[in-house]
Amino acid sequence: MKKIILLSILALTTLFAQVDEKVEIPYMPYEIKMGKGFDAIEANCLMCHSFGYIINQGPQSRQFWHEKVVKMIHHFKAPISKEDEITTTNYLFEHYGNGKEK
Amino acid sequence: MKRRDFLKASLVASAAVVGTSVSAGVTGQPIDSRKVSKIAFPEKKPLITYSDRPPLLETPREVFTRGITPNDEFFVRWHMPEIPTFIDVETYRIKINGLVENELSISIAELKRDYEQVEVTSVLQCGGNSRSAYSPVAGGVQWGSGAMGCAKWKGVRLKDILNRAGVKKDAHWIGFNGSETAAYYETPNFVREMHMDELDDYVILAYEMNGEDLPYLNGFPVRLVIPGHYSDSWVKMLSNITVTKEYQKLFFMDVAYRVPDNSCECETPEEKYKTTKPITMMNVKSVIGYPTNNTVVAHNSHVVVRGVAFDDGHGIRDVLISTDGGKNWKQALLKDADRYAFREFRFAYKPTTYGKVTIMAKAINRLGAEQPFAQDVKWNHGGYKYNGIDSVTIEVI
Ligand code: HEC
Repeated sequence: MKKIILLSILALTTLFAQVDEKVEIPYMPYEIKMGKGFDAIEANCLMCHSFGYIINQGPQSRQFWHEKVVKMIHHFKAPISKEDEITTTNYLFEHYGNGKEK
Repeated sequence: MKRRDFLKASLVASAAVVGTSVSAGVTGQPIDSRKVSKIAFPEKKPLITYSDRPPLLETPREVFTRGITPNDEFFVRWHMPEIPTFIDVETYRIKINGLVENELSISIAELKRDYEQVEVTSVLQCGGNSRSAYSPVAGGVQWGSGAMGCAKWKGVRLKDILNRAGVKKDAHWIGFNGSETAAYYETPNFVREMHMDELDDYVILAYEMNGEDLPYLNGFPVRLVIPGHYSDSWVKMLSNITVTKEYQKLFFMDVAYRVPDNSCECETPEEKYKTTKPITMMNVKSVIGYPTNNTVVAHNSHVVVRGVAFDDGHGIRDVLISTDGGKNWKQALLKDADRYAFREFRFAYKPTTYGKVTIMAKAINRLGAEQPFAQDVKWNHGGYKYNGIDSVTIEVI
């Protein structure tokens, strides 16, 4: 009998209120620089991660940004057209670039 | 200019070019100026926040005065944006299949009831912790030094579970799959593999962290705990364990979380090393929790420098402190700790000069391995395994 009581106490343990229903992951506002090519970023880069994840790399060269975009296509199978590969690279280099080609 | 002289001059010139390109990969102290955000994620205090999707949260330096990192300050690192947002603990199952005699489907209640319950206190550290120390920037999250923490994990030995399932003779690899899935169906999921030989009594399936259910963002309801290994192996929301004969080719195992396969594990930005190996075991490291950069203290007052040190389980033998920029070193007092845990250190320091003072901490493990100066850590393109001597600069008034 004692054992059964113990078991039912165990079964009753409740979950912490923030996780016993659907967990809400907050949305963060990111400051995004508007400009030519931003449409392509919106269409191609925000389906798998937030903008914050992209720009925390800091200011980078054109080659760096191009390699990132290619990595997304090659390794993560991002469906990005050749044209948008160039447009997104240009946008990133223009707004989050360090001025160097390489 | 004679032709011979010209040749000589151009040789010197090209040597100079090579010289700068070799030193182009440099290392300093990781970024330490980031503030915690205003947004608190579920079960967390506001932490340093890099991204919401996937959630990337870093623990501020002050927390590392203690050997146990509180759950609500423990760092968070996911790879994919799609975290399941609801887990029904009643119906959740961990499946064991592949080369086993009996496939298992274990509920959380069974895990807590039908197996021996064990605890291990262990450090969990991202392989890219402190990545912001590398320049030029190494790809990935630009962490300061807070992508790490130490907790008391409670759960069940993986060995006991595999023994119950009965592993077949020719099984060599164990694959782990979590419930974290990619947003796009063709993106490879985050899956890890481990060789049977790496399995020991410390490898557990943990459902509890510091006496509470695992926080949702740290892998609720069950995660793999592999002490001594970097956190990319500690699969969160563990849902499937598959035993196989052959190694399966996996993106995150074969491309990400790898360092150059040479003895210095280093390379230059221009000339990346051709072969790589997994990051696996952690190197010796320490972080100062107090004081922090820009702390102001009075001349001749009584400062206690505190922090934590750890390695891959050999154990920390000494932590040395310098208050003169690394010229002279004195021993800090160490608190006892389990082999895989943070070892707390403390050091009494009375500032007898005025102005800026740089305090450094250097850990040495039982094998004699010690931390290099930050600038002597060699560059690698993934920005992994940084373990430079930590340093904070305070002001004495
Ligand atoms: C199909 C999904 C997908 C799309 C679309 C996508 N990415 Fe990614 N991205 C990923 C994944 C997966 C990671 C790596 C996650 C991890 O390791 O934590 C990543 C990581 C990154 C990183 C971090 C650095 C690194 O090397 O891991 C950057 C920067 C980035 N993406 C930029 C972009 C840009 C720019 C675009 C648009 C051109 C884009 N991504 C589109 C899936 C995607």
